[in-house]
Amino acid sequence: MNQPERRETSPEEHQKGGVPFFPDHFVKEMSVMALVAAILWFLATLMPMPMGEPADPLRTPPGIKPEWYFLAVFQILKYVPKDAGIIFSFLIFPPLLMLFPLTYNWYSKYTYGRLVVHTIGALGVLTAVFLSLLAYLGFE
Amino acid sequence: MRPFKAIGDFFDERFEMRRVLREFADHNVPDHVNWLYCFGGITFLCFLIQAFTGILLAFYYQPTMDDAYSSVLFIMEEVPYGAIVRSLHAWTANIMIIMVIIHMLRVFFHGAYRPPREMNWLTGVLLFFMTITFGFSGYLLPMNQLAYWATKVGTEIAGAMPFVGSYVQVFLMGGERISDATLTRFYTIHVIILPVVLSLFLVLHFVMIRKQGISEPL
Repeated sequence: MNQPERRETSPEEHQKGGVPFFPDHFVKEMSVMALVAAILWFLATLMPMPMGEPADPLRTPPGIKPEWYFLAVFQILKYVPKDAGIIFSFLIFPPLLMLFPLTYNWYSKYTYGRLVVHTIGALGVLTAVFLSLLAYLGFE
Repeated sequence: MRPFKAIGDFFDERFEMRRVLREFADHNVPDHVNWLYCFGGITFLCFLIQAFTGILLAFYYQPTMDDAYSSVLFIMEEVPYGAIVRSLHAWTANIMIIMVIIHMLRVFFHGAYRPPREMNWLTGVLLFFMTITFGFSGYLLPMNQLAYWATKVGTEIAGAMPFVGSYVQVFLMGGERISDATLTRFYTIHVIILPVVLSLFLVLHFVMIRKQGISEPL
C-alpha cells in the first residue's frame, strides 16, 4: 500500500501535544451526554409514545409509510424499477459504503479529489433528505 | 479512607486496574477535538439507555399476536413508571439513529476514515446497519396498526429482492404472513442476536480508536 501524502500521527505522537483525555475531554463528553440525557428525559416524560390502535390485518390504514429512516429507499422504489432499486439499496450500496475508505489513496492524488468526493457525499445526503421529505409528504 | 485503600489494593494486586485506569485517563487527545467529536459517545450513551430500558420492558412484554398489544398497554397504563420507560426506549431509538448518522457525517467530512482507519469505518458502517435493523425489528413489537403495516411494507420490500427475496421473507417472518412466528423471530433478533453482535462490534470499534488514536482533520 502506498503511503498517503499526509502521514497520520501515531498514538505515541499524540502523547506530546494535545490535551489529557481526563479531565479535559472527559468533562466535555460528559456535559454533552448530560444535555442529551436531559432532552431524552423531557421527550419521554412530556411526549409519551402513543399506543395507536391495535393491529388489524383486515383493515389497511391509508398512507402506509415505513419508519423515517427507510423513507428515502421507499421513495426511490417509486421511481426506478423495483428490482434495480432493491439490488442497489440492499446489495450494492452497503458494500460500497463499507469499502469507500479504500478509495482514499487514489482520490487524494488529485488536486480536487477530496473536493469532488466531499461534494458527492454532500449531494448524496441532500438527496436522501429530499427523498425522505417527499415520502413523508406523500408525493408519488 | 483506610478501608477504601485496602479494598483498592486488594483488587489492584489482582487486576492491576490502577495502571489501566491511569493509562486511560492520561492518554492525550489532539487539541482540535471539540464537541463535534462527541456524537459517537452520545450514540454509546443511547445504546446503554436502550439496554437498560429494554431489559425493563422485557419483564412485561409478551411476543404473541394475542398479548403483544395488551402487554404494552399494560406497561403504559399499569406498570409504575412504565410509560416513561417505554417512551424513553422509543424516543432514544430514534435519537440514536440520528446520532449515528451525525457521527458518520462527521467522520466522512473530516476524512477520519482514511488509512490506517479503514477497518474502523467498516465496523462503523456495520454498526449503523445493525442500529437500523434494531429499529426495524423493534418497531413491530407493540403490534399496533402503524407497526403492523409498516412491517408488512418492509418485509414485502425484502421479499421483492431478486432470486432470494421469497426465502428472505419466509426466513424473516417464519411464514408468509405476520404471525406469532414473525413476532418471536423479530423479538429474538431484537433482544438476543443484535445486542450480542452489536456489543462485539462496539468493542472492536472502541479498541481500534484507542489503538489508532484520533485522526487529524484534513
